[in-house]
Amino acid sequence: MTGLAAGIAQRGGRIGGRVGHAIGRFWSGISAVSIKELRGRMRGRRAFVVLTIYLMLLGLFAFAIYVYLKQQAATATIDFSNGGIIPPDLGGFPGSGQTLSNGTALSAGIGHGIFGGLLILETLLVLVLAPAFTTGAISLEREKQTLDLLVTTPLSTLGMVIGKLFSALVYVFLLIIASIPLASLVFVFGAVGPDDLFRAYLFLFALAFGMGALGLFVSALVRRTQTATVITFVLVLVLSLGTAAAYQFWQVAASSTTQSSGLLLSSRSGRAPEALLWLNPFVADLDMVCATAPDTYHVSCQYISSVTGRPYFGTPNTTTQTFSPGKGGPITVPVPAPTVPNAGGGVVGGSGSGSSGAIDITVNPGVVIANPGGPCLAPDGISPCVATSANDALSFGFPRDTFWPKSAIAFIVLGALLTLLAAQLVSPTRRLRFSRPRFRRPSPPKAIEPDTPAAVENAS
Amino acid sequence: MTIAVRTDGLTKRYGRSTAVAGVQLEIEAGEIFGLVGPNGAGKTTTLRMLATLLPPTAGDAQIGGHSVRTDPDAVRNVIGYMPDTFGVYDDMRVWEYLDFFGRCYGLSAARRRQMIGDLLELVDLADKKGAYVQDLSRGMQQRLCLAHALVHDPQVLLLDEPASGLDPRARVELRELLRELRSLGKTILISSHILPELEELCTSVAIIDHGRLLASGRVEDIADRFRVGGVYRATVLGSDEKVGKAEQVFAGLSDVVSVVRRPGGLLELALRGDENTAATVLAAAIRGGVKLSSFAPAASDLEELFLQITNVAAHDVKTTEVPA
Repeated sequence: MTGLAAGIAQRGGRIGGRVGHAIGRFWSGISAVSIKELRGRMRGRRAFVVLTIYLMLLGLFAFAIYVYLKQQAATATIDFSNGGIIPPDLGGFPGSGQTLSNGTALSAGIGHGIFGGLLILETLLVLVLAPAFTTGAISLEREKQTLDLLVTTPLSTLGMVIGKLFSALVYVFLLIIASIPLASLVFVFGAVGPDDLFRAYLFLFALAFGMGALGLFVSALVRRTQTATVITFVLVLVLSLGTAAAYQFWQVAASSTTQSSGLLLSSRSGRAPEALLWLNPFVADLDMVCATAPDTYHVSCQYISSVTGRPYFGTPNTTTQTFSPGKGGPITVPVPAPTVPNAGGGVVGGSGSGSSGAIDITVNPGVVIANPGGPCLAPDGISPCVATSANDALSFGFPRDTFWPKSAIAFIVLGALLTLLAAQLVSPTRRLRFSRPRFRRPSPPKAIEPDTPAAVENAS
Repeated sequence: MTIAVRTDGLTKRYGRSTAVAGVQLEIEAGEIFGLVGPNGAGKTTTLRMLATLLPPTAGDAQIGGHSVRTDPDAVRNVIGYMPDTFGVYDDMRVWEYLDFFGRCYGLSAARRRQMIGDLLELVDLADKKGAYVQDLSRGMQQRLCLAHALVHDPQVLLLDEPASGLDPRARVELRELLRELRSLGKTILISSHILPELEELCTSVAIIDHGRLLASGRVEDIADRFRVGGVYRATVLGSDEKVGKAEQVFAGLSDVVSVVRRPGGLLELALRGDENTAATVLAAAIRGGVKLSSFAPAASDLEELFLQITNVAAHDVKTTEVPA
C-alpha cells in the first residue's frame, strides 16, 4: 500500500516535473522571442515614425469629420430658415441627427460622427497593420534561414509563436492605446459615453489578436513571405468585404423565397445566418456606431437590425410595422406622427424598405423642427432633442450589444485556433503526435479557410 | 570509449527519391568525425535528422543516449547545431544574439552574462560585442554562429559545411577553433565536400554518396580497406578513340582499382600497392599498345581517395566519364 502510494507519488512527481519543464520551455519561448522581437522592432526611428504618422492621420481624419459636419449643419440651418426644407441627403452617415438647428443636437451628431469615423478608420488600420506585422513572423525566419537555429533549441513552438504574436501585438496595441486621447475628444461633443469608447477599444484589441494570428498562421503555412502577405490580405479582404457580399446574396435569395408571406421583413428562417458576419469587423463597428447614434434611423441601426433580426423602433412612413423577432412572435409597434422620410438611404436587406423618397414634413415655424422619428419624438412628438438623446435612443430605440460581443468572441476564438495551428506548422518535428497510427485530426469547423486542415495534412 | 552518436538504419525519403538510405554510424565521444560526400549526397539531410529538424522516415539515431525520434527535446539539449546556410537577424547586436539563444536554453541572467563573455573570447569576437550582427564579415558571422551552438555547452556539435565560403585564413582559424573545442572534450561531427580541410582535422571519416554510406572509420583504415596505394596520372597520345582504347586496357588490369577519364587525354588511375605495382601496370599498358607521354603519381590526398572510393563503391564500374 505504501509502496503503491510512493509509486504514485513518484510518478506524479515525474509527471509534475515534466509538465513544469514544458511550462518552463513555453515561458522561456515567449519571453526570449518577444524580447528579441521587441528589441528589433522598437530600435531606431521606424517605430516612432509609424506611431506619429498614424496619430496624425487619425487626427486629420477626426478634424475633417468635424469640419464636414459643422459645415453641413450650417447649410442645413440656412436651408431651413429660407425654405424650411431639410436636404434629404443629410440623414445618412456620418452625420445623421445633426439636421436640427439645435446646437446641442448638432454637438451630439458631431460626437457620434467622429466616434464612428475614428472607429472605422482604426478598424481599417488594425485590419492592415496587425497582419502586416505577423505575416513575416515565421516565413521570414525560414527565408533568412534562422528558423533552424530556433527549432534546434528546446523552446516550445507554441511559446515561440505566441512570443512572435505578442511582440507584434504589443506594437499594434501601442498604436491603439495611443489613439485614446484623440478618441476622447468625442466626450467634448457628447453622444458617446466612456462605455462606448471602452467597447470600441475592447473590440479593437480582439480584432488585432484575431488578425495578428491570421497573419501568423499564414506565415507558418506558406514558405515565402511574399506569398504569405498576399494570402493574408486576400483573407482580410474576404473577411471585410466578402462576408458582407456573401451575406447580401444569401439575404436576397432568402428574402425572395419568403416574399410571398407578405411581410416586409423576411422571417427568421429565411434570413442569412448572422454568423456569416461575425468575422466582419465593420458590421461590429456598425453595432457600436448605432449605439451612439442620436436617432435610431441611422443606417447602422437598420443594418444591424436586419442582421440580428431584432426590431428597431420608429420606422418611418408607416403607422404600423410588423416585425418578426426571433421568439415571441410578431410585435406591432405604433409609430406616432409626424413622419419624415428616412433619407438615410442605405436601406439594407429588405428591412425598412417601405420608406421611400416622398417628403412629408410637418413644418412648425418658430419651433424646433421635428427630427426624423427617433427618440426625440417619443414622449410627445415636439420636445426638442437634447444631448441625452443618445441615452434615450438606448432606452427606447435599439437594443445594445446585440452583435459586436459575438464578433469579438469570434475573433478571439479564431485567433486562439490559428495560433495553435501555427505552432503545429512551424517544424515537421514539432507536431503533436498521436498514438493511433491512422488517426485523422478532426478538421475544425471553419468557414474562412477551407484549405487549412488539408494543408496541415499535406505538410506532414 | 563511449559512443556519442549512433545511427541505426537512418533513412529519409521524399516521395520516391531517397535522400538518406539506411546510414549506420557510430561516433565515439571526443572524436572529430568528418562526413564527406559530393553535393546532394545526403550529408545535410543526415545532419538535419540528427539535429531533430527532420523526422526520419525509418531508422533511428541516438545522441548522448537519447533517441531523435522519441525524445527530441533531450537531444536538443545535448547538441549544438550549425546549419550550412544560416541567416542572421537584422537589428541585433552580437551580445544580444547570444543572449537571445541563452534565453532560449533557459539560462539565468548571470549565466548568460558569463557565457557571452566566454564565448566571444573563444571565437575571438570580444571586440565586436556591441556591433550589429548583419555588419559582421562572413567569417565572423560563421564564428558567431558557432558560438551560438555552444551557448548551452553541448556535448555534441553538428557542423554542416562550417568552412564553406571562408577564405583560407578564416579556415585556418576555424580549424584552430575546432581543435580547441575538441580539447574541451566535445564530440564534433563535420560535413564537408571540401576535403583538404578535413584531412588534418578529422580523426575519423564517413564517406557518403547517393544517400548511402560507402565507408566509415579512421582515415587510415579506409585507405587500407580500399587498398588504394596511390593515384597516378597518365597522358595518352593520340585521338579520342586511342584514349578510349587505353582506358579499356587500363581497366582490364587487375591492379587498377578505377580509371577516371579527364579531358585532354588524361587518365587518372587508382592503383593497389606501391611503386612496383605502378611499374607493372605501366609495362602492361605499353605491352597493350598504349602510347603514353607521361605517367606520374598524383598528389595523394583525401580528396583523391574520396573520388576514387565514390567511383568504386557507388557506381561499381571501373570506367567513368567525368565531365570537365
